[in-house]
Amino acid sequence: MFRLKIKKGHDINIAGRSAKEFLPTQNCNSASLSPQSFRYIKPKLLVKEGDIVNLGDPIFYDKLNPEIKWPAIASGKISKIIYGERRSIQEIIFDIDKQQEQSLQEVSTTNLSSKEDITNYMLENNIWPFIKQRPFNKVANPSDMPKSLIVSLANTAPLAINHNFTLSEQKEYIISALKHLKELTNGKLFVVIRPGEFEYLSELEYLNLIEVEGPHPAGNVGVVINHLEPINNKDVIWTVEGHHLPILGKMFSKGIFDPSVVINIAGPVVKKPGYIRTRLGSPVGIHCKDNLIEKEVRIISGNILTGNKIDMEGYLGFYDSSISIIEESFDRSFIGWLHPGGSSKYSVFNSYIGSNKEPYNFTTLQNGSNRAFVPVDAWEKVFPMDIYINSLARSIEANDIDEMEQLGIYECDEEDVALCSFVCPSKTDVGSIIRRGLDLIYFDA
Amino acid sequence: MNFLKNILKQSGKLFEEGKPLSWAYPVWEATDTILFSTDKQTSSGPHVRDNMDIKRVMFSVVIALIPCYLFGAYNIGYLNALATDVSRSLIDNFIFGMSYVLPVLIVTFVSGAICELSFAIIRKHEVNEGFLVTCALIPLTMPPDVPLWQVFIGTAFGIIIGKEIFGGVGTNIFNPALTARAFMYFAFPTKMSGDKIWAVGPDGYTGATALAIPANPTEYDTASNLLNQSTQFDFSLWNMFWGLIPGSIGETNKLIILIGAAFLIYIGIASWRTMLASVIGLVFTASIFNLLSGYSTNAMLTITPLEHLLIGSFLFGVVFMATEPVTSAHTEKGKWIYGFMIGVLTVLIRSINPAYPEGVMLAILIMNMFGPLIDYYVVQSNINMRIARNA
Repeated sequence: MFRLKIKKGHDINIAGRSAKEFLPTQNCNSASLSPQSFRYIKPKLLVKEGDIVNLGDPIFYDKLNPEIKWPAIASGKISKIIYGERRSIQEIIFDIDKQQEQSLQEVSTTNLSSKEDITNYMLENNIWPFIKQRPFNKVANPSDMPKSLIVSLANTAPLAINHNFTLSEQKEYIISALKHLKELTNGKLFVVIRPGEFEYLSELEYLNLIEVEGPHPAGNVGVVINHLEPINNKDVIWTVEGHHLPILGKMFSKGIFDPSVVINIAGPVVKKPGYIRTRLGSPVGIHCKDNLIEKEVRIISGNILTGNKIDMEGYLGFYDSSISIIEESFDRSFIGWLHPGGSSKYSVFNSYIGSNKEPYNFTTLQNGSNRAFVPVDAWEKVFPMDIYINSLARSIEANDIDEMEQLGIYECDEEDVALCSFVCPSKTDVGSIIRRGLDLIYFDA
Repeated sequence: MNFLKNILKQSGKLFEEGKPLSWAYPVWEATDTILFSTDKQTSSGPHVRDNMDIKRVMFSVVIALIPCYLFGAYNIGYLNALATDVSRSLIDNFIFGMSYVLPVLIVTFVSGAICELSFAIIRKHEVNEGFLVTCALIPLTMPPDVPLWQVFIGTAFGIIIGKEIFGGVGTNIFNPALTARAFMYFAFPTKMSGDKIWAVGPDGYTGATALAIPANPTEYDTASNLLNQSTQFDFSLWNMFWGLIPGSIGETNKLIILIGAAFLIYIGIASWRTMLASVIGLVFTASIFNLLSGYSTNAMLTITPLEHLLIGSFLFGVVFMATEPVTSAHTEKGKWIYGFMIGVLTVLIRSINPAYPEGVMLAILIMNMFGPLIDYYVVQSNINMRIARNA
């Protein structure tokens, strides 16, 4: 067990945290898989509208890496394929046929002992896309040998799910998943937890437990990478989302592809924030219906820092485990910059008297205009890595790839700098700067 | 309120791209967002944002400066009463001082606004609220009876040469307020040289400031003795702390400056590292000079560290000028070096160079210049660590 104490960071005190209880399960008739959830791939469809598919059947593959195929996340008919600009595939929508889903045969799971066995098994059964890699935060390349593998079970993002609660009944599958994932690397398997959670994991000798303390982004994979497992030269590190472990575990141990996940719905405008038993790519409308305080709202697939804006008819993103909902506000307060403070303001700066005490009703307001960057050390307050983030951002603006590498761009990702954008008084979007730098390097290679 | 909001919304259409008034968009944007906070929304993640913006950052600095103005005005009246041998109430002293401070303040803001707005229009960037801080700082560094035309030119110089020609806020090298002051110091030396009396008195009224006394002693003695022998003003440590001495408008009262420092550090927008490092640098250098003072007849070497802190504008410069985020070093380690060197250079310029009784202005400007170099080496050590790991 290793203890990692993070000091810099900030837990945003936002209203509408989910209570640790389940909301009534909604009947899910459709599901969607969006190739847009995966970076840097060129999807080529293997099905067309109207085809009947089974859970786990290949739906599309990556033209750049044809051995990686994506699974059908439901059994039934492909009811619609939505295209966007320049014929990019936006969504593949399934009409779920429950009877067909229940009659599925399990696949053989014998002989999963070496890296090769497990990789082949995952590729054959189209579950490879559950494995992502750093740098670039994209689907891993099966032929790489990762320096290590990191699974974070400490989701510190605002309004995020608590894995200790959602995975409490999944012990058997989590252990199975971790046991097989360990075989994928020559290095260590790191599992990140919060103190006092997942006690049974400490008995497993093949993994390295890391207990993180401190505010967000303490539980981010990037923080562990920067502190314990820095990425050098051509290193890659693989990661798996905590809430996907039961899916992988069941696949490894029983040969069954079960797309069930537990997610949460939270935010200041949610009447009853709580946990939901649903499935991968579930529509969000069924969960939001009757559970919103009526207002103009923004629905976010994922957390409020890094999630994507979707509409009421939208679907949960592949890697997302939360539906966060905040008010779309167009409110303009008179001489707002002179406001003394109180519960109507929230800031990591001590600039408002009596603010931050109660959970705050955040809205989509940017709370200020975009301005030239003034380095008042706001980013550094919430960025717990040994990286000069200000210099890194400048090297990206200057398109200087060598310097980006030297300043450690491979160790961080958009999600790790999201808080920097949150606190920046100049309202700079640091995440998109980092992404631009990573894109530049990726397409340059 | 809604009526005003609608007027702004309707008038805003005239300033959109392609419309006749589009060239003046930055002016409209500034007016609009000063009156009502912006309704601009986040477009992607993070979907929520902190309530702190640049307007509030800059406004907080201005708040911290207001007590300096109030005391400065009172001090002008108080010293004038002393010089002319009349007795006035506290309020009357304040009003008398305000009649000198307000014109300087107004001229500074008019000059600053003209420059900032013209550049915003020509360069098509938003009006950056930073110019408010620059304009609030400049009068505080002036002698009370400074000619207004000099203030006008000096402010314009500071904003244009100190900031705009480098690309505006965020890309300037030198602190614009100090650039303005340095320009005036060298361009109008008769008013700004710092060794003659900085107070409003009758015609021909003269005397020496605290720094000028040990710089030009009639007979060698320690600085403490020389200051105590001054009959014209009370240069005791306590009185210099309370600031009832001649000097620039805003720098004499050290208590108010310390409160301002505490306020800025508490809010989190000024670096305590820079401030502390500057004081350490000053105490360090002054102590060494104290040790060496026996080998010299330069009375400036005998000024104790505490006297250095209380004499002149050191604290004002360090709290409000050196911590300016854009022109200071940006890295944490860099700020320690940057601040320390400001302290060292202040004492060096004050003590060793008799031509400049006050050294803090030049010390900060010199270190502004070195800020990027310091950062370069600090960041380079991080890079070297990564290169070594890769090897």
